[in-house]
Amino acid sequence: MKFVFLVAWREYSENAKTKGFWIGLFMFPVIILLSISVSVVLQTKGTPVRHYVLVDQSGKFAAVVESRLEQLKTHSQPGATDSNAPPRSFQAVTLPAGIDTNADLASLARELKPYLRGEKKVTADGREVELYAAILIPRDIEKQIVRPRAGPAGTNAAGGSIEYWSANLADSTLREAVEEAVNKEIRRREYLARGLDGAAIREVEQTHAPFASLNPNKEAGQEAVNGADIIRQWAPSGFVYLLWVAIFTISQMLLNNIIEEKSNRIIEVLLSSVTPGELMMGKLFGIAASGLTMVGVWMASLFGALIWKSGAASEITGQLLLALQTSNLIPMFLFYFLLGYLLYATLILALGSVCNTIKEAQSYMGMITMIMMVPMLTMTFIPKDPNGTLARVLSWIPIYTPFTMMNRVNAHPPLFDLIGTTLLLLASTAAALWMAGKIFRIGILRTGQPPKIIEMLRWIKG
Amino acid sequence: MDISPQADAPPLELRNVTKFYGDFKAVDDVSFTLPAGSICGFLGPNGAGKTTTIRMILEIIQPTSGVITVLGRPSALEVRQRIGYLPEEKGLYKKMKAWSVIAYFATLKGLTRKAARQRAFELLERYGLKDFAAKPTEALSKGMGQKVQMLASIAHDPEFIILDEPFSGLDPVNQQVMEEIIRDMAGRKRTILFSTHVMQHAERLCERILLMTKGKKIFDGTIAEAKRTLPRRVRIETDDDIGPLRALEGVISVGPVETAGGAAGANGSGHWELQIGENADPQAILQMCFAKGIRLRGFNQSDPSLHEVFMHLVGPEAREATFR
Repeated sequence: MKFVFLVAWREYSENAKTKGFWIGLFMFPVIILLSISVSVVLQTKGTPVRHYVLVDQSGKFAAVVESRLEQLKTHSQPGATDSNAPPRSFQAVTLPAGIDTNADLASLARELKPYLRGEKKVTADGREVELYAAILIPRDIEKQIVRPRAGPAGTNAAGGSIEYWSANLADSTLREAVEEAVNKEIRRREYLARGLDGAAIREVEQTHAPFASLNPNKEAGQEAVNGADIIRQWAPSGFVYLLWVAIFTISQMLLNNIIEEKSNRIIEVLLSSVTPGELMMGKLFGIAASGLTMVGVWMASLFGALIWKSGAASEITGQLLLALQTSNLIPMFLFYFLLGYLLYATLILALGSVCNTIKEAQSYMGMITMIMMVPMLTMTFIPKDPNGTLARVLSWIPIYTPFTMMNRVNAHPPLFDLIGTTLLLLASTAAALWMAGKIFRIGILRTGQPPKIIEMLRWIKG
Repeated sequence: MDISPQADAPPLELRNVTKFYGDFKAVDDVSFTLPAGSICGFLGPNGAGKTTTIRMILEIIQPTSGVITVLGRPSALEVRQRIGYLPEEKGLYKKMKAWSVIAYFATLKGLTRKAARQRAFELLERYGLKDFAAKPTEALSKGMGQKVQMLASIAHDPEFIILDEPFSGLDPVNQQVMEEIIRDMAGRKRTILFSTHVMQHAERLCERILLMTKGKKIFDGTIAEAKRTLPRRVRIETDDDIGPLRALEGVISVGPVETAGGAAGANGSGHWELQIGENADPQAILQMCFAKGIRLRGFNQSDPSLHEVFMHLVGPEAREATFR
C-alpha cells in the first residue's frame, strides 16, 4: 500500500506540473465566469438604444407605432422605479434637416441611405447617433392593404408597401413590432369599416383559460413550476457534459502517462521495485486525485461564480444556484465521476499497457471515443423522457451508467434503477480492474506490435 | 543496515531455470550461484537470454520452471529494497528533475523522502552531475541521463546490483565514470552482476564471468578459469627460421599471426604465435631461441584475451545467434 501511495503521489505531483493540468483546471472556471459575465453584460448593455425615423405620409399609423415601441424596454429590472426606468429599446428621431417629409418614398430612401449606412449621423437629444432604421409609410397605404379573396389590391411599383430600411438584418424586433402595430391598427379600422364592434372583438381575442405547469414531484401546495424547476431538469445535462469532459481529459492524461513510461522503458525499473498491481493502482489513484482536484476546482468555481453573480444582475444565475442547492446534483456528479473514471481509466490502462507509442494507442482511443460519444448524443434527449426506455436501457450498460444516471438524477429514477445500476457499475469496474490487471502485467513489458484482441483474451484467461 | 553477506545465503542462486516464450525457449535449464561480494560479468551474444534471465531474477517475469533464490529469498520482490537494477533500455521521466528521479526511485526502494532527497544530491555531486541536479532529465545528454539512471538504481545502496549493459552508448570518459561507480560499490562489498558485450569491461572489472549462448549457460567461473579454456601462447617476432621451435616439448602448434602487414612467413612481418601446453615453460622457448641463434625482435608471453575466450566458447554460433 505504501508503494501504491508513492506511485500515486508521483503521478499527482508530476501531473500538477504539466500545462495541460492547469489549462484543464482553469479553462472551466474561465468559461463559466465569461459566460455569466457576458450574459449579464448583454442583458444590461448588450442592446443599446437604437434610433429610427418614422415617416408616416398617411398620417394614420405614427401614433400606434409609437405607443407599441414605447413598451419595448432595453432591460426590465425587477424592482426598478420610475426614476431609473430602463430606456426604450427604440427611440424615434426627427428627420435630418433638409429632407422633405412629403417627397416620394424613393427619394426619401435615397436621402436616408447615407445615414442608414452610418456615413452620416442623426441628432437625438443633442447627441450625434447612428440611424438604425427608417420606416417609410406611403401616403396611399390604405389602398395597398391585402385582403383575402380580393387578392392584392392594385399593387404597383411606385407606391406600395411600407418600407423598412435597416442595415441590420439579424435583429428583426423593430420590424416585427412596427408590422404588428400597423396591422393591428388596420384591422381595427377594418372592423369599424365593416360595422363590427372593434372593442368587443378585442375583448373576445383576449379571453383565455388559465394554464399552469405543475410538477408532481414537488411538495403539495408548491407544485407550481418556476424557472428553477426548469433549470433543475436541464442542469443534469450540463453535468453530463462536464462529466464527459472530465473523464475524457484525465483518461487522456493517463494514456499519455502510461505510454511515456512504456516507451521510455522506465517501466522495467519500476517493476523491479513495485508489483504491476501496485503500479496500476498507484496510477489509478494518482490520476484520480488529479481528476478530483480538477472537478473540485470546477465545482468550487461554479458555486463561487454563481454566488458572486447571483444578485440582481442575473436572474438565471440565481435560479441555477437554487437548483444546485436544492438538488443532489453535485454529490451525484462526484460519485459518478469517480465510478466512471475508474471504469474508463481501467480500460485505458489496459490499452496503454499494450501500446508502445501514442500513435498506436490513438487508433484504439478512437474506438473508445466513439463509444463515449453515445452519452453526448443522447444527453439532450434523456431529460425529455428521463425514465423512458432509452434512458433505462442506457443506464444498465455500465460504460454509460455514469452519464445516463447523471442525466436522470433530477427525474427521480426508480430506486431499483438507482441501486441496481450502481451495483452493476461497481461489479463491472471490479471485473475490469481484474482483467486490466492481467493485461497490464503482460502488456507492460511487451515491445513490438500491439497484441490482437484474441491474444489479450488469452492473457486474461491465463 | 547490516549488509554483511551471510556465508550460507549467496546473493543469487538459479537452479534449472527455464523460460519459454510461446514455443521459443529463451532460457534453457540454467543453474548458477553468485558468490557474495563479487563482480560478475554476464556475457553472451545478442539473444543469448541474458535480459530474460535478469528479468526472471528480478521477478519482473516468471520462469516457466526452475527455482531462483535472491538474497536467500524465493522472491526478489520480498527483498526489493536490497536490490538495485539498471535495465538495458534506458529511460527517465522527461519532465522530472534529475535529483527527483533519483529520489523517487530511492523512495520506491524504501528510503524516506528526506533521506532519498539527500542521497540524490550527494550522489549527483560525487559523480560530477551537481550542476544538473535541478535540470529536467530531457535537458541532459544521453550519457548524463544514463549516469542519472545508474545513480537512481543504486541510490538506496543495495547489496545486490544487477546492471544490464551499463556501458552501452557511453563515451570513453563516461564509461570510466561508470566503472568507477561499479568499483566503488564493489569496494563496499556489494555483489554486482552486469551484462555486457564489451569484453574489455568485463576483463577489467570482473572476478567472475557467466557466459550464455542460445539460452544455455556455457561457462561459469573466474576469469583465470575462463582463460584456461584456451591454450597458453607465446608470441615471437623474428625474421629467422623458427622450425626448431616446433619440435620443442610442450609446444602444441606454431602459426603465423596476421598483422596489418600481412601474414608471417616469406613476405610477412615475422610475427608468430606458439600455443603451449598448460605445463610448458615459456622460458624453454626463449632458451631454444638463443641456442639455435634465432634472433628475436620481440618475445611476449600473454594470456588469451577474454574476447578470444568468448569467441572460442561461443564459437560460430556467436554470429548466427538470433536476435530477439
